[in-house]
Amino acid sequence: MTLEQSIFHYAQTAPDRVAAVCGSDSISYSELRDAIARRAEELRASGLQPHRPYTFRATQDIDFLITYCAIHYAKAIAVPLEHKATEESFQSIKSQVEGCSFAEDIVDVLYTTGTTGKSKGVMLSEMALVSCTDNFIADLHFSEELLFIISGPLNHIASLFKIHPTLSAGGTVCILDGLKDMSAFFSVFDLPFKKVATFLVPASIRLIMQLAYDKLCAVSDKIDFIETGAAPITKQDMELLSKALPSSRLYNTLGGTEIGAVCTYNFNDGRYMEGCIGRPMKNSVVEISEEGNLVVSGPTIMSGYVADQQSTSQVLKDGKIYTADLGYVDDEGLIHLTGRQGDVINIGGFKISPSEVEAAAISHPDIKDCICIAATHPVIGQVLKLLYVPAEGCQLKSHAIARHIKTLVEPHKVPTYYEAVETVQRTYNGKLDRKYYKN
Amino acid sequence: MRERIFEILSESLPAVDFEADFLFGELDSMGIVTIFVVLAKEYNISFDAMDATPKNFKSIDSIVKMVEQKIANL
Repeated sequence: MTLEQSIFHYAQTAPDRVAAVCGSDSISYSELRDAIARRAEELRASGLQPHRPYTFRATQDIDFLITYCAIHYAKAIAVPLEHKATEESFQSIKSQVEGCSFAEDIVDVLYTTGTTGKSKGVMLSEMALVSCTDNFIADLHFSEELLFIISGPLNHIASLFKIHPTLSAGGTVCILDGLKDMSAFFSVFDLPFKKVATFLVPASIRLIMQLAYDKLCAVSDKIDFIETGAAPITKQDMELLSKALPSSRLYNTLGGTEIGAVCTYNFNDGRYMEGCIGRPMKNSVVEISEEGNLVVSGPTIMSGYVADQQSTSQVLKDGKIYTADLGYVDDEGLIHLTGRQGDVINIGGFKISPSEVEAAAISHPDIKDCICIAATHPVIGQVLKLLYVPAEGCQLKSHAIARHIKTLVEPHKVPTYYEAVETVQRTYNGKLDRKYYKN
Repeated sequence: MRERIFEILSESLPAVDFEADFLFGELDSMGIVTIFVVLAKEYNISFDAMDATPKNFKSIDSIVKMVEQKIANL
């Protein structure tokens, strides 16, 4: 059953049950059904055709949910983009997708850095979405009593694909605009729901534990499960979270836009195995290639990248996705991640191509050369740092560079740290020497 | 104090416009934490999760007021 079919089913069987809450707004299943039907009609009236893409900003509210489902209900393709994407970036992607034709089974195009390090449109079929939902419901046990808090950006698979299992199981989603208003996060636990769950990247888990450990402990009896992923979580953080939530299920999941939700490991098992992602979920198969890469197959995987056959063929071969994640399978059949190939830098779950940041920075007239590297922040963990060579006679303030970059890329791609240097290390053939800075 | 707070926060979060009409809208959760860490170190004060409200982060002046109250309550 698709997400929309599930919503319509519960609109019949439990019309007054709350489907979604966001701040002081809420919507029941029957109200959501009606709103989806109305919005779909508006979209059709505005010219949206079946199997054609509809690009829109992923606002962090119930209206997003209505639009996303209405696009599917109109048999069109949802292309949600980050709500803070620059207008230039939005229009560029919109014109790219509108210039393409799509197979009839494609329902979503999600833009990601993912496996390749460059922003690409990942085409997902209805089968991929349904299978991914099925994986979550079977392995994480979503239920109709559950209130699932979504605090991450809704264009990102880790957040967007929690709407599907939550509503397909008859539960309720609670949409928050990030975690910056921590009192809003904890006020969710005052709502009349017996079970609460959420997805948090490891940096957000650390943030909550540093700022509100006592409050987390105080609501522990309501937390059914917390899922993390998108970046490595440390053993220390696993142990601390387990101490706060001894009875909750705590999952570390391997997922990605290209592969869907694939493996999960409940680390509240007393072992807290760092890097462990457990076993493949119900509909997924994971193998390790000769080179040590994780190779994923099954119905959750993408159909390909939009208008990029070359990149598609690099990762999708014979129905299998060859990921950049490196790992191994232990004697118990548990899969462990050991690292990642390539230049991608993972910042709070966002995989960022440093070359995209460098291209934005070098377009500043007073920057002669630069390299974007990973640096360590005492609280946040890994952040971006820009080493730049100022043009002769120029003196630059960090915020001037940052604001210039911010006009060209999404906010999470703007470096936190800046340092003026005399030269940037390059290899003998003139390429940026990223290995030098990794060491 | 306002100038000093503006200076250290601008240095720590160079992409943020601390003169924005609604500063809270400019920040993400990591930005809020960074502000807590920087101010805690500078003024030897402590913050907890409930300090992260839109009211306290409405503007640079709201942040200054929050710091002044924290210092007064030491």
